[in-house]
Amino acid sequence: MRMNFATSGRPTSFVQRGAAVLCSALWLAGCGQEEIRVYKILKEKPPVETARTSPHEEPAEDVHYTVPAGWTEQPGTQMRVANFSIQGKDTEQAEVAVMPFSSLGGTDLDFVNLWRGQVGLAPIGEVELSKYMERVTVGEAAAKLFDVFGAEAASEAARKVRTLVAVLPRGGKTWFFKLAGDAALVAEQRPAFLDFLKSITFHEGDANAAHSSTAEPPPAAAGLPQWDVPGGWQEQPPTQMVLAKFLVTGDAGTKTEITVSSFPGDTGGLLANVNRWRGQIGLAGVGEAELAKLVTSLDASGGKATLVDMTGTSKATGKQVRLLGVIVPRGGSTWFYKMLGDESVAEREKAAFIKFVQTVRYPNV
Amino acid sequence: MFDRVINLFTSLKLTVALLCLGTLLVFIGTLAQVDEGLYQAQARYFKSFFIWWSPAAGMKLPVFPGGYLLGSLLLVNLFSAHAKRFKFTRKKIGINLTHAGIILLLLGQLLTDVLSTESAMRLAEGESKNFSQDFHANELVVVDMSDTQQDEVIAIPESLVAAQKEIRHPKLPVTLRVKRHWPNTDILGKPANGTVPADATQGVGVGVHVRNLPVTAKMDERNLPSAVIEVLKGNESLGTWLVSSQIGQPQTFTNDHKVYQLALRFTRHYKAHSITLQDFAHDKYKGTDIPKNFSSVIRLQNPATREDREVKIWMNNPLRYGGETYYQAGFDDKDPTVTILQVVRNPGWLTPYLACVLVALGLIVQFMTHLIGFAMKRRTA
Repeated sequence: MRMNFATSGRPTSFVQRGAAVLCSALWLAGCGQEEIRVYKILKEKPPVETARTSPHEEPAEDVHYTVPAGWTEQPGTQMRVANFSIQGKDTEQAEVAVMPFSSLGGTDLDFVNLWRGQVGLAPIGEVELSKYMERVTVGEAAAKLFDVFGAEAASEAARKVRTLVAVLPRGGKTWFFKLAGDAALVAEQRPAFLDFLKSITFHEGDANAAHSSTAEPPPAAAGLPQWDVPGGWQEQPPTQMVLAKFLVTGDAGTKTEITVSSFPGDTGGLLANVNRWRGQIGLAGVGEAELAKLVTSLDASGGKATLVDMTGTSKATGKQVRLLGVIVPRGGSTWFYKMLGDESVAEREKAAFIKFVQTVRYPNV
Repeated sequence: MFDRVINLFTSLKLTVALLCLGTLLVFIGTLAQVDEGLYQAQARYFKSFFIWWSPAAGMKLPVFPGGYLLGSLLLVNLFSAHAKRFKFTRKKIGINLTHAGIILLLLGQLLTDVLSTESAMRLAEGESKNFSQDFHANELVVVDMSDTQQDEVIAIPESLVAAQKEIRHPKLPVTLRVKRHWPNTDILGKPANGTVPADATQGVGVGVHVRNLPVTAKMDERNLPSAVIEVLKGNESLGTWLVSSQIGQPQTFTNDHKVYQLALRFTRHYKAHSITLQDFAHDKYKGTDIPKNFSSVIRLQNPATREDREVKIWMNNPLRYGGETYYQAGFDDKDPTVTILQVVRNPGWLTPYLACVLVALGLIVQFMTHLIGFAMKRRTA
């Protein structure tokens, strides 16, 4: 077979047309820039089994309010249905949060002592409680307002901060309205805060939705798991990298903290994470061989989990502390559940902690 | 001059030279996969017009033609030679068919490069998804959640974030100023060796630290980029957020009383249908960890067509649906309830088959034409 590739003759219009089409295609392939896409998707549905439970239990209620001048509305969080920041003179700052909680054990005294503890104040007794409490109205309902302020505190830092919390039990939940920040600014904002409390109205509607008189409802954050909080666990605002935080107080006022966090991937694997935890309680790292002796397998709702139970020393206090950790790899992420604190409290709460981890209902993301 | 160009493009010498360069390119590109990984080597050697060399920072020199250039020159060469000499004769039917097959093969590959996407759908038992996630690409998304039924997603490719400039779009209610971008990172709660503060004023990035990692090209790893984004309403700053593919949860900001989600995530490819994993079986050979068989029973639901059916996907038995192919690709060795499906959309998937049929047919016709001609000559001789 001989192929004739003689090179005579004029180009035809077919050549030109073909070349034009080809050049267009190559330009598309080689030079095509990635562009911004805009599209609409249906809102992601929560998993079938996620009937709302604690911390925001059904039946759901909206909260409406009028925002005082000078308050800046911030996005809501998992725990806060409304959130504001206040900027005072110079660097003075304060924040206001509205938090509905359910399944909370504890008395008024427990709450006040918890908040006092957070700002470094000594606990008070039942008799003294009335000194720090007054009656206010939240909307049309009577509520208690607690003033957590340590004018008499030993440390200067404790004297600089002040917290006002209005507590309103309503429909199986306890609503907390908290103004906290620099003491002078909190005192200055107190009348505005009381006006804010009076402006509160509740409406049947979407869970966790909050409405200012001018604002649209901020939708609740999607994709967070649902859980039943054991009795006695006090929900705390989440911090950086921590999705949820709880505090358990022992008989002697000792505290144990439970945190939940999630990260994509395996975050270095089981050994690295167990050794990270060991480092937090002053224990030396272990190898693969010793790791097997430290961990036990656990059946959790999210799949196979790994439990580790270790006792070490707190770097902050030098006291003996216990760390119970559960690692749940699930759907490309790793979930970390950690209980860290007083040994006797940890022992008492161990069963509740394990049950809590085992019954978490994960989001459908 | 024009004739010389035409002569060059129609010359057989060019064909031979291009085929030699192509062979060399395949050899170099294959060796490069050892160090650079499959994806990067493909992008650098085959999905490019030139292979670039950087003798010094900021300098780039083309040192060898890339796959796109060689492929397109071959195509031009083949097209122009044919256009110039095309004659429809019975004797040449076979050759024309064979060349048409090769042209189809080259064009089909171009189509695949431009239009095909590969992504993964990771599902735990009971989990339902209507999107798959890209293997390599990431996107910065701003999600308007104000509607009660639908969310509006504004998805910005990572390449625009990497440019570290201001991002504006008619649909974006704010301006996004990219202050930092790292292609692969690790996020830490406290400072450590090689970390820098994220400098975020809002969200989970406040007080955290970022470690810049070398870009990975390994097949079993992926880069987790991070960026520091300042959200601007006009000239007013609403705050600075750290976004990262490593942060699982989207963060929010408020603008004009509307809440928006902000996240850097693996690029999502949404579908009109949803897939729910009902059961995942992962059988191993007894007493070993060697996979024997793994299969996923899924429920396919499409509200538009009212389809609701169960499908079993297992090795070499993919699901073909909606222009996509779902292969049983993997499993999670840490979570026995998780399946990983590879989702391939390739509108040009049929072209290599058609091209092979055309080439084979052309060769058979050409051979038979000669054979019959030869036999006839002998008979008449």
